[in-house]
Amino acid sequence: MSLASLESSRTEAAQAVSLSGLSKAYGPIEALAPLSLTVAAGETVAILGPSGSGKTTLLLLLSGQLGPSSGAVTLVGREIAQLSPGKELAQLVGMIHQQFDLVPNISALHNVLAGRLGEWGLFKSLVSLVWPQDRPMGMEALARVGVADRAELRAGRLSGGEQQRVAIARLLLQDPAIVLADEPVASLDQARAGEVIRLLVRIARDSGKTLISSMHSVELARAHFDRLIGLRNGIVQFDLPSSQVADDMLLALYDIKGLRRED
Amino acid sequence: MKIRPLEGRRLLTIILVAAFAWSLFNVDWGSGLVNTGGLRAAGHIASSILRPDLSLDVLDKAIRASWTTVAYAVAGLTLALAIGFPLGVLGSGVLFRSSWLRRFNVAGTRLVLAFFRSIHELVWAWLFVVAFGLSPLAAVLALGIPYGGILGRIYSELLQDVPEAPLRALRSAGASEWRVFWFGRLPMALPDMLSYTFYRLECGIRSAAILSFVGLGGLGFQIRISLDDLAYGRVWTFLFFLIALVSLVDVWSSMVRRRITA
Repeated sequence: MSLASLESSRTEAAQAVSLSGLSKAYGPIEALAPLSLTVAAGETVAILGPSGSGKTTLLLLLSGQLGPSSGAVTLVGREIAQLSPGKELAQLVGMIHQQFDLVPNISALHNVLAGRLGEWGLFKSLVSLVWPQDRPMGMEALARVGVADRAELRAGRLSGGEQQRVAIARLLLQDPAIVLADEPVASLDQARAGEVIRLLVRIARDSGKTLISSMHSVELARAHFDRLIGLRNGIVQFDLPSSQVADDMLLALYDIKGLRRED
Repeated sequence: MKIRPLEGRRLLTIILVAAFAWSLFNVDWGSGLVNTGGLRAAGHIASSILRPDLSLDVLDKAIRASWTTVAYAVAGLTLALAIGFPLGVLGSGVLFRSSWLRRFNVAGTRLVLAFFRSIHELVWAWLFVVAFGLSPLAAVLALGIPYGGILGRIYSELLQDVPEAPLRALRSAGASEWRVFWFGRLPMALPDMLSYTFYRLECGIRSAAILSFVGLGGLGFQIRISLDDLAYGRVWTFLFFLIALVSLVDVWSSMVRRRITA
């Protein structure tokens, strides 16, 4: 099976994400005020805001790793609370983290193929420990993110930029409809960060995936994403196409005054 | 009076130190413990370190005895692995999502492991020699059972202590706990598990030498015979072979470890 056939096998829905009155509180602290919005399939969205503004909370709610205090998340027409964790959820939504989260002492290829673990039976998984299964698919994904020559190296020996590329390749094999990224390039240097974001956005566009990423660099977000959402103290400040976000809105978003003390 | 945790810990430290000090006064340091001719014997033993018996006959015995000792150690450790790995995985509880099942399993497995390792290999050896006579089987069982208990205990802890984030990433890619175990947990714990297993092989060689004092053959048996003959030169020959074996395992272990982690 090739990557291309994998991607075409999933149907697109017009609405990838729909939030209705979604909120989250940790004890007395409201991390996210009730929020309703929709994201169209294939849209690329960057979430901006100072640290502690609720970006990560929102992403964790979207990925189903965190339950909301109120409201609901609907992904491609299915409510997240009704989905079984594991394979079913993994087909809808996949996530990339700031720290890449690869298994450091197996090869880059094995890490990429781990994206197929939800699909493989246990026997196939075990055989794959010795003879990597679906190898052509894994190599194709590594080539697409530009690190095919690193396939046999242990993931822990790769540079930060290479590790994040491998994590993206793993997501290609998982092939979810929606890709979430939590500050995916915050631990990379500027040049590397630009390359990886360009790659991530291009891959999402090419394969018609919906991309929602929290970003810590405003410039990268404005340059590469369709739509920007500004969060501050858990409240949405703006939600606009990138071209309509003005400088003073961003200044107000990151203004120190009025930020929560626990941030 | 209510004791807060920190105060409680300090109190415990004071009690333990006091108990230790008190015990010093309760040991009979008197004449009974000391062998008055011992100093001369010690001198003999020390001076023969420079004159080990290197006659062909003794070297031949030493090589054969070393081989027996290594064979016992390796066979014992193989049995220990067969016991320790599955029980270690079970005892780590990482394969169970339901917390009730996990707790039941962890507690049960830990109890078995504790039983295996709380009895010293020498005691196991006595028991098995009574049961099977002076046979190699007795030696292998005597080594394998307590070592299996130790390996299982350490494995279960190493498997629990791997970083969570990569495992979370695998789960969010749809992997079940079994797959997370084989593709995340085990690979991450493996270098430490291996290096501890090699350390245990080292201990196994020393233990096998001691076990052979019981009469099972091997370096320890030869050392005891030589001691009975007051042939300290020969004792040292056998001891040097023992040191060489342990060093060899050490070198081998660091070679393997370098390949795994580099």
